[in-house]
Amino acid sequence: MRRLLLVLRNDVRRHLKSPAAILIYIAIPMVMTALIGIIFAPRTEESTLPPIRVVLVDHDKNLASRLLLGAFDADEVKKMLEVTVSDEAEGRRRMEKGQASAIVIIPEKFTLDLLDARTTVLTVVKNPAEQFLPDVVEEFMNTMAVMLSGAVQAFAAEARGIRAMLDAPVESIPWEALGPELGRAQKKIVAVRKYLDPLLIGIKAEEAKAAGAKTLFTQRDLFSIMLPGMAIMFLLFIVQTLMRDIISERQDGKLRRMMTTPLRPLELVGARLAGGWVMGLAILMVMVALGSLIFRAEWGNLGYFLLLAAAASFWTAAFFGFFSALVKNRNQAGALGAPIILAFSLFGGSMMNPEAMPKAFKAVGILTPNRWFIDGAALVRDGRFPLAPLAVLTVSGIVLTALAVPALRRKTLV
Amino acid sequence: MLEIKDLSKSYGDVLALDRFSLDLKKGEVLGLLGPNGAGKTTLISILAGTLGDFTGSVTFLGRNLFADRELKSRLGIVPQDMAFYEELSAMDNMLFWGGLYETSRAGLKRRAAELLDLVGLGARAREPVKAYSGGMKRRLNTAIGLLHKPDLLLLDEPTVGIDVQAKVSILDLIRDVGAAGTAVIFTTHQLAEVETTCSRIAIMDHGRILAQGSLDQLVRIVGERDIVEIMGEFAAAAFSEAVQDLTGERVELLSAGDGLASLAVRDTAEIPKIMDRLFRRRLAVTDMKIKSPSLETVFLKLTGRTLRD
Ligand SMILES: Nc1ncnc2c1ncn2[C@@H]1O[C@H](COP(=O)(O)OP(=O)(O)O)[C@@H](O)[C@H]1O
Ligand SMILES: [Mg+2]
Repeated sequence: MRRLLLVLRNDVRRHLKSPAAILIYIAIPMVMTALIGIIFAPRTEESTLPPIRVVLVDHDKNLASRLLLGAFDADEVKKMLEVTVSDEAEGRRRMEKGQASAIVIIPEKFTLDLLDARTTVLTVVKNPAEQFLPDVVEEFMNTMAVMLSGAVQAFAAEARGIRAMLDAPVESIPWEALGPELGRAQKKIVAVRKYLDPLLIGIKAEEAKAAGAKTLFTQRDLFSIMLPGMAIMFLLFIVQTLMRDIISERQDGKLRRMMTTPLRPLELVGARLAGGWVMGLAILMVMVALGSLIFRAEWGNLGYFLLLAAAASFWTAAFFGFFSALVKNRNQAGALGAPIILAFSLFGGSMMNPEAMPKAFKAVGILTPNRWFIDGAALVRDGRFPLAPLAVLTVSGIVLTALAVPALRRKTLV
Repeated sequence: MLEIKDLSKSYGDVLALDRFSLDLKKGEVLGLLGPNGAGKTTLISILAGTLGDFTGSVTFLGRNLFADRELKSRLGIVPQDMAFYEELSAMDNMLFWGGLYETSRAGLKRRAAELLDLVGLGARAREPVKAYSGGMKRRLNTAIGLLHKPDLLLLDEPTVGIDVQAKVSILDLIRDVGAAGTAVIFTTHQLAEVETTCSRIAIMDHGRILAQGSLDQLVRIVGERDIVEIMGEFAAAAFSEAVQDLTGERVELLSAGDGLASLAVRDTAEIPKIMDRLFRRRLAVTDMKIKSPSLETVFLKLTGRTLRD
């Protein structure tokens, strides 16, 4: 036990001495959260930015341009952009008078080009007299373009169906006949709404308004929802690098030297598993603290959350302990570890909202620690005790430990 | 204090140790000399307890080395690898590795500071080791093995790849340790090192000891003859043929290779005769050296190899 603690203390000290890797892994999720939150989140009430005036010229007058118009009409966008639909000449007149920061021109056949997956160009005419605001418009349109392109590709099948009917002049489109196609597209839109954020939040706001409701989604909520997913993903990365020690030390001879001392293999394995657990938990709590400080994220009952974090970190240490016992060398660990973590994160909901994922994804997600941690964090945030996630992470963590200990012990024999 | 009996170990088809036997007394410093692949590391690893699957027995301090965990703390190992933490300072490394043996922390600190001074690292003991030169790292690697005052110290090629000063410092340390009563086995393929440092030398190859004793005893194996080394543009076979009629009681062909051959001669008067045979066959000689008997010639005779690697 004395030696176990000595190894543990030494490992902690080592990682504190060269914390670069860990600091980067802590910083990335924070920066990612900040970027995503700042770009996509609805503005808070205190937003002091004056609305930017934009003249929109619609040469398309078709489905896609209407979607765009709908996006501009969303409550959150309205706070930022004040859009007038007009023609180009009027737009330029306004710009000269300083009444418009930019003109956005939707070209003819915009919808058809998109549906046929041809590239098309949205023109943003920026007011040269202004410095910052026209750039904001351009950035916004860039984002919209990316999202629209993504949406068109995601709905390729539906797009073909709609395209067949759009050859006729817009006025004569039998909108009722579009029903099944639109209905199917609608379902997918609902499903991926969260991860195609700006465009689809716009649509959602429109619906909400029609129903007479108001969106209550704030930036702070967004951070609170996103951070646990990010935190567990990077916890996986960090603990994986920690548990890799045992492989590299096997390669560089330190493990052999340790085994010449009275240190027992079981003590070493115990120290490494406990180290991954404790350091993982500490790092997770640092991320929580940073999340609270930087993003004012809410976590709910801190005691509950600590339990959940301890269970997640325990699971992660056991998993990567076992993983390290199975791989041949450090390179193999690196090559296999990252895809595993990314798959966990994709299926487990670190990269997109689990609600928004296809059924098959969701089913696979249940096998990932990410999913249980994210669900648990949501429960804690709602003020509830995360019983199921705790139980699942702890029990499977114990099973993994039972597998990892003998496998790692075998690895200490050189 | 250490008796190794009939130790054998094979890796598949390769017999790395072949009924290896050796006795060692308190305070004896044994230089284990052998070319690459002789089995030196295999032997050290078995004694260190990091290699299994062997036959034979080792008794240490009167007890079975492999059955008694207690004995581990009486053994000090300096591995061939630089096995310590680069991100930590020399002092922190000493405290960690030393701490794995049962030692009081205060005592350990004092001993670590002493040893670091002894190997000339005292002034930079608080710096991260990754800033050290190769020689400094070797010295640290050696010092770590001495922390717990072992009764037997095993060093595997402790002087590989370092500058002369560092080498001298490590060899001095080994000698001091021996003089203080610790038995030492160190492996090397550098002849000069064992000549100056060891009380006993063992030459090994193919997993067994070929000869052992003091430097004098070993040199006598090749007798009182001088060694003639001839370099030139000739093939091994042509050289052997050319000197064939001379070889016998007074001239012995130790080795013949393409472009390099060596012979042992009773009398330097034989040398002109050898040259004469070579000229007659038109074998071009570019250089010739005459050497008095040395460990190198013994080694050459026993292993048939020069110690280049
Ligand atoms: N892990 C191993 N697997 C297979 N063969 C090995 C292994 N280690 C050493 N050998 C072989 O055993 C012999 C002795 O090696 P070693 O003890 O490392 O020699 P030395 O240290 O004297 O250079 C060599 O022929 C080497 O190739
Ligand atoms: Mg070796």
